[in-house]
Amino acid sequence: MTLFILRRLGMTVVLLLALSLLVFGLMFAAPGDLARNLLGTKNVTPEALAQIRAQYHLNEPFLEQYWRWLAGAVTGDFGTSIRTGGSVGGMLTSRVGLTAAISGLAFALSVLVGVPAGVAAALRRGSWPDRLLVGVSVVGVSAPGFAVSLILLYVFAVGLGWFPIYGTGSGFLDGLWHLALPSVALALGLGAFVVKLTRAAVLRELDEDYVMFARARGLAPGRVLVIVLRNAAIPIVTSLGLMVGYLFGGTVLIEVTFALPGLGALLEQSVLFKDFPVVQALTVIVAFVISMTALLVDLAYLAIDPRVRARTVRR
Amino acid sequence: MTAPLLKTTGLRVTGPSGVIVAGLDLEVGHGEAVAIVGESGSGKSMTAKALSGLLPRGVSASGEIELEGDPIAQWRRVRGSRVALLLQDPFTSLSPVHTCGAQIGWAVRDRRRRAERVRSLLAEVGLSADVAGKYPFELSGGMRQRVAIAAALSADPGLLIADEPTTALDVTTQRGVLDLIGELRRERRMGLILITHDLRLARSRADRVLVMYAGRLVESGPADEVLRAPGHPYTARLAECDPPLDRRLPELVTIPGSVPQPHSVTAGCPFAGRCDLVVDSCRTTTPSLVETGAGHLVACPRTTGEGLAPSPPVSMDRPEPAEPRPADEEILAVRGLTKRFRGREQPALDDVSLTVGRGDAVAIVGESGSGKTTLARCLVGLERPDAGTVEAPSRIQIVFQDPYSALNPGMTVGTSLAEALAAAGRPRSEVGGLLELVGLPGAYARRRPRALSGGERQRVAIARALAPRAEVLVCDEPVSALDVSVQAGILNLLAKLRADLGLTLLFITHDLAVARQVADRVHVMYQGRILESGPAGAVLSAPRHDYTRRLLAAVPGEE
Amino acid sequence: MRRLPVTIVVSVVILTVVLACAIAGGLIAPHALRQSLYLGSVGAGQAGHLFGTDQLGRDVLQLSVAGARSALAGPVLVALGSMLIGVLMGTVAGYRGGAVDMLAGRYADLLLAMPAILLAIVVAGLLGGGYWIAVGVLVLLFSPSDVRLVRAAVMEQASRPYIESAKVLGIRPRRIMFRHVLPNVFPIIVANVLLNVAFALVALSSLSYLGLGVPPGAADWGRQLADGRQLLGSNPLASIVPGLLIILTATAVNLLGDWISDLLDRKVATR
Repeated sequence: MTLFILRRLGMTVVLLLALSLLVFGLMFAAPGDLARNLLGTKNVTPEALAQIRAQYHLNEPFLEQYWRWLAGAVTGDFGTSIRTGGSVGGMLTSRVGLTAAISGLAFALSVLVGVPAGVAAALRRGSWPDRLLVGVSVVGVSAPGFAVSLILLYVFAVGLGWFPIYGTGSGFLDGLWHLALPSVALALGLGAFVVKLTRAAVLRELDEDYVMFARARGLAPGRVLVIVLRNAAIPIVTSLGLMVGYLFGGTVLIEVTFALPGLGALLEQSVLFKDFPVVQALTVIVAFVISMTALLVDLAYLAIDPRVRARTVRR
Repeated sequence: MTAPLLKTTGLRVTGPSGVIVAGLDLEVGHGEAVAIVGESGSGKSMTAKALSGLLPRGVSASGEIELEGDPIAQWRRVRGSRVALLLQDPFTSLSPVHTCGAQIGWAVRDRRRRAERVRSLLAEVGLSADVAGKYPFELSGGMRQRVAIAAALSADPGLLIADEPTTALDVTTQRGVLDLIGELRRERRMGLILITHDLRLARSRADRVLVMYAGRLVESGPADEVLRAPGHPYTARLAECDPPLDRRLPELVTIPGSVPQPHSVTAGCPFAGRCDLVVDSCRTTTPSLVETGAGHLVACPRTTGEGLAPSPPVSMDRPEPAEPRPADEEILAVRGLTKRFRGREQPALDDVSLTVGRGDAVAIVGESGSGKTTLARCLVGLERPDAGTVEAPSRIQIVFQDPYSALNPGMTVGTSLAEALAAAGRPRSEVGGLLELVGLPGAYARRRPRALSGGERQRVAIARALAPRAEVLVCDEPVSALDVSVQAGILNLLAKLRADLGLTLLFITHDLAVARQVADRVHVMYQGRILESGPAGAVLSAPRHDYTRRLLAAVPGEE
Repeated sequence: MRRLPVTIVVSVVILTVVLACAIAGGLIAPHALRQSLYLGSVGAGQAGHLFGTDQLGRDVLQLSVAGARSALAGPVLVALGSMLIGVLMGTVAGYRGGAVDMLAGRYADLLLAMPAILLAIVVAGLLGGGYWIAVGVLVLLFSPSDVRLVRAAVMEQASRPYIESAKVLGIRPRRIMFRHVLPNVFPIIVANVLLNVAFALVALSSLSYLGLGVPPGAADWGRQLADGRQLLGSNPLASIVPGLLIILTATAVNLLGDWISDLLDRKVATR
């Protein structure tokens, strides 16, 4: 069992290394002279270029440069931003709270609404509420986050004026009010996915023999449902992992649209500006979080599915 | 007079394509065992589901059902506590993520005494108390079915409906489970409806038998009587189609044609198309059930009330070699074959050696896990052994068990055969000859597999295997997935091909009676080893190994 | 043939219209890019513009029609390109196994560990953006899941008795692959290509929205949304119209893909 966790952690480390190497390498693949890019907005003079080259050790072999970055990254020092000149680590910590809040709200909303909706739809397969829900979820999955955001913004903020258009607000409740629309926008796309998935998983289980056998013994429909859900939990948990990936992609779009100063907006600005240190740091952090989530999902499997438990222990 | 335990009148089940069961009357008394016998398409499974109110979506039932004289108001109150259904496949009827104890306990109302009740139920089905904490995947098929039985009985129903409860189990396990059901029935004074396709099983386990064909009841009566002196031609022929274990027939009895879909039978007797006693009126008037003896009902105008004569009269048994024939030419030799699959402790093949002479018919008999399928696959090159040698001619071919996946559904029969011919360098013109060889009309070349019945598809699979002029044909359970009435046709075909083409047959099966009919020599396998070999007649009448004896004892009707 | 559900008919109609705009955009909306800085952004129905104009005075309706091309061309290429890689690598991996399978597996694991859109943003952005770079990046990012899909489908087919019989009969592996395996895998491929088109449309328009796709000033729905963000007050239609168009098109393709998927499941069940 511990062997299993160690093996997974090992794979995560390999993944992070590969990814950071890739992003680091992109720095050199980018068009234009690297030193010039790194100068950013400052004046381009031969002295400045030489100074930049020295500062970023650009004359050293690639792997040494990478090693230098890696050594720093492991201790938490991600260098300085080209765009703002500030510490990358500092920028990240100041923005992480907002992104976490939006993501967390959206995740909670989508699961708390999506899972029951999916289950209800599966139980009433073919009826009009089911078909409506399926239709809505197809649209939700097809609609890109920013399109939905803009429509929501227009209808609720500009049109009806129920919510503020931009900004983060001050204080807890005001902050929540400001985050309501972005969280809902993000939750819609995610929620649609959850509904689709939950419905499919429950439908599959309902067709199984053990459900018929349970009913044949006179178990009440509610009881049978609990049994079904216990089995359906397995594919649902799998997809929760996928959802986290979607969440990250969506966050960028939402934050940009609502002008919220979170990590997503930071990524967009940094990519456009070619602020490499920030992009590198963000990519690695995101990959880390996703890998941790995947590990948690695998551990959840062990808890839910006794067959997986048996297989893993035997190894 | 007390009302019968269950009584249904005019039960009619309809599905999306039409009628599935047409007007069935059934009565089960307290403590009585009734068997419903039928082949595929007879409607027996749907009847079982209708009798517990568990029809799938799109299927509805009409008619009257009474439990102990009272009509059923709400199914949920009745299920489990008065009527329980036991499903066929123990591998899917239990929830994979809950412990066996939990699942048995679900239908036990009294929460405080639940654990105790589960323990006593486990004891009743012959399992130790620690099974309660195990998960289904940790148990064997037979044990799982016992857990399922315990679960079905947990609310103390008065009637148990068992839908083919042992079909998915190994032969040696089957007997144990059937014995258990019989015991429980007696101890609890429970009624039993046993759904099966096996007439012999029905005879040995039931008091009364109902025979269904294409959704209709064709005969019913006391088990012994119906099987000793069948009134309906179908029952008679069906009984004859069962290959006997104690002797070898020159040709097995078969019923030509195949079972029609229940909804396609409009007027007249459903069996008319295949019956050898048919007259014109059979095709126009639907026969009704007529009482020919005490409690013996037959739906056939041609019945005489004294039982029908067997047909065609079997003159003498086919001689079988008492001694192993001196091998004129060894065509297949396996030495020291060993194969172990990853993740399994038990090797699939453990130092297996055997030889087959040219023109021989050899049967490899065993249950699941014996390694017989792995052996077959090694012989044709689909599996590579870890150790040992296989000396086989290049012209060795294989026929698989499932006729429904044996042919590419997107290609016509003719194209599949032509492709096989082309791969062997033979001309396309031989397609017609191949079809004729397996007894199919040449026009079938233009048809697609979905237009063919299971038996016909298997014939095409055999024809395809013969396309490269195969010298050795390995048959891996080629008839297990077919109805008994069709089975015999395939076995006869294989025997004929062996005689006409000098084909060498290697027949893999779990069915000893089939092995007796097909093979000169028998090898009995268990857990990767050959335990006993010898002439078919000798091994199957006077076995030497303990395991072989157990296999023989497990055959229904052999007690 | 049973009557098609209404949603499918509507979806096909929508897609036909979009396709027509993509192909014949120049004929239908010849003045899409004509700017009128003097006019600026006006609301719906004013100055002869049905949906108003954007901040550069371009007619929203005409611009949207012209944007259909980038909405379909790129995503279709992404889906087809990705599936091509999927088929090439997936069939070999699924049928032969061995080294190719291992490589394909690791490649897939690596790329699937990161959300596609995020990686697309990073890679496309750092490489300087641009529509075709974005398309190329997306092809690479979508391919691992297609490889997995094809591989699984091929493996499932390969264990079927009629495939094994074909092997024993000595039919050549290439013929088995093309004549037996792929025709049965093909329907799954088609359904998945459609679903990928929808997904790619969303991804590509997201990239354009963020400024990483088409160059500024080009006709593209995502770009229109980005530009229209500031115009919510003066002409909300400048962003709502292209937004709805993206949603409608993606939904139509998704519905079509789901319907074909269901059709195939039912067909397989009745064999």
